[in-house]
Amino acid sequence: MTATLTAAEAPAPAAPEPAVAAPRKKRKRPTFGMIFAVTFLVGLTFLAFFADYLPFIAYPDDKTKGGARYGIGPGWEAWFGTEKLGRDVFARCIYGAKYSLQIGVYATIIGLITGGFLGVLAGYYRGWVDRVVSIIIDCLLAIPALLFAILLVNRLDDVKETAEWLNWLTRQWQIVLALSILATAPLARIVRAQTMSLREREFVLAARSLGAKPARVMFREILPSLVPAMLTVAFTALSILIASEGALAFLGLGLEIGTPTWGTLIQENRTKIYDAWWATIFPCLMLFLTVLSFNIIGDGLSRRFDIRQAGV
Amino acid sequence: MRYVLQRLLQFLIVFFIVTFGVMVLIRLGLNAPGDPARTLLGGSVTDEMIAEYTNKYRLDKNYLVQYLYWLGNFVTGDMGFSKPNSMDVSKLVLSRVMVTVLLGVYALVLALIISVPLAVRQAWKRDGRFDKSASIVTFGFVSVPGIVLAPLLVLVLVKKTEFTFGNYVLTIGGWFPRIGDKIYPWQDLGAHFQNFFVPVLVLALPLAAIYTRILRGDMVQTLQADFITLASAKGVPPRRVLWVHALRNSLLSLLTAVGGQIGGIVGGALIVESYFAMPGMGNLLVAAILSRDFFIVQSVAAILVITVVLTNLVVDLLYAVLDPRIRHARALA
Repeated sequence: MTATLTAAEAPAPAAPEPAVAAPRKKRKRPTFGMIFAVTFLVGLTFLAFFADYLPFIAYPDDKTKGGARYGIGPGWEAWFGTEKLGRDVFARCIYGAKYSLQIGVYATIIGLITGGFLGVLAGYYRGWVDRVVSIIIDCLLAIPALLFAILLVNRLDDVKETAEWLNWLTRQWQIVLALSILATAPLARIVRAQTMSLREREFVLAARSLGAKPARVMFREILPSLVPAMLTVAFTALSILIASEGALAFLGLGLEIGTPTWGTLIQENRTKIYDAWWATIFPCLMLFLTVLSFNIIGDGLSRRFDIRQAGV
Repeated sequence: MRYVLQRLLQFLIVFFIVTFGVMVLIRLGLNAPGDPARTLLGGSVTDEMIAEYTNKYRLDKNYLVQYLYWLGNFVTGDMGFSKPNSMDVSKLVLSRVMVTVLLGVYALVLALIISVPLAVRQAWKRDGRFDKSASIVTFGFVSVPGIVLAPLLVLVLVKKTEFTFGNYVLTIGGWFPRIGDKIYPWQDLGAHFQNFFVPVLVLALPLAAIYTRILRGDMVQTLQADFITLASAKGVPPRRVLWVHALRNSLLSLLTAVGGQIGGIVGGALIVESYFAMPGMGNLLVAAILSRDFFIVQSVAAILVITVVLTNLVVDLLYAVLDPRIRHARALA
């Protein structure tokens, strides 16, 4: 029935477009950007995941052969060169990918759950529920996101000290938590708008006239139709969150000292850019390509599902 | 009119919640009596000083009392005293605000100068070669985080690189070295622009890309409207159709983008100021958060919230001024 609505039948917010035939032709052949994005991300994830077992990736804290030689340029000995303590930049980039991707994905998932929940509630019940949720969203959007993240991460560190049961709240989870709160607002806004248009549709009316309870209507009837929109926004959000994580690390609120992430690598080596550009530029490129790939995928999905993302 | 009041009320609610939230957040974990004052003063302090500070800023009362006291002072321009800087917070903020405002305004203007002609040219011949290549470039710049663009631009523009081809030497970069600390336009205009150029570029390029994409998308749709066909049919020159009839109707979405990106500019300025070591509000704020200088954090956060929300409010009201259709729709609602 309605729950089996496939992605292709998802609601088009605008009038039905005559583009039904066109995408079918294109669907066979993905664009060059899409191929690049998926290959890059899959490759990166693979490398990051198996970094410990791959022989050609040095352990990130090890000095390269020949001792602590500062600044070997990129070459055969060290693909991306070595940084100021003689450590291999390529290895640090790959290990950095591991943490950066992890943080981004976790934060997006938490943001999806909370944002989706708030958005569906607001869009379905409207009235005062909508008012409250809208005020929460407005407040979160009123304060510059990065600032809020800095404040949160910094504070969570102290909160952790106050109670025993908060021991799990390591730096990584503090960052995840702060970023997920940031992701909540735009996600909730889009889900809310989509739910509002969905709740007027016939299948929702049908379910309600059959006596389905609000919870069932919301999560069994409306939620499946929201998946394409949420997925699309999730990819865009992911790219923004990974960039934000880099920015946080750059401002000194990264993971524990010694754990490489891209932001930390850029921050550690930026003063050396005149002597050893590779130590800064390669982490920069990795961060850029990752953000770009997620954006390409998000953009592709939004075209596929015809979703406008004004809010992000 | 009713709409304006409604929006103002919304603005006030958001302002109160956010500033109160920031206040609670920055004080979390300081529960023991005297703790807040001790954190504020820092270093070794006597009990009398703590008592004096606690009394002066009502630091022993509950959050609501503290908040109202702070708010009352904030409205009258007294933002408290920052011990580590030995300066009134209001003076401190005033001395820093100029750099951030200049950064933001330059970036905004530069972004608009780049994006409007680019988007119009793109929309003029949609899906042409220029449009396609420009789309790829802007998509790339949308995806560049500030911390990536800053080192890249430094490498290309500031660092001097020499490429040797046989006996011909090509020199790139070395153009914008930092000149002393003359950052204000009234000190030395040339040095000012030289110091500001690369930081502004870091902020402006991604911004320009976002504006271009939004404006192009809107113009492509506008150009398909009936009134454009009519204008062309009655013999209005194509250039005028494009730059006056179409652009004017598409400016609304550009306006939305400008309003919506104000928060983004502030966040970007944070990174840029930190990277290029410029004495702006962002730097002040980050340092204050890390050292828990409450009054600075609360005041700067309040100023930022006012800026962001007020810009959105103004944009929203400008809408009605610029587009009679919206004005009438609202009057009916």
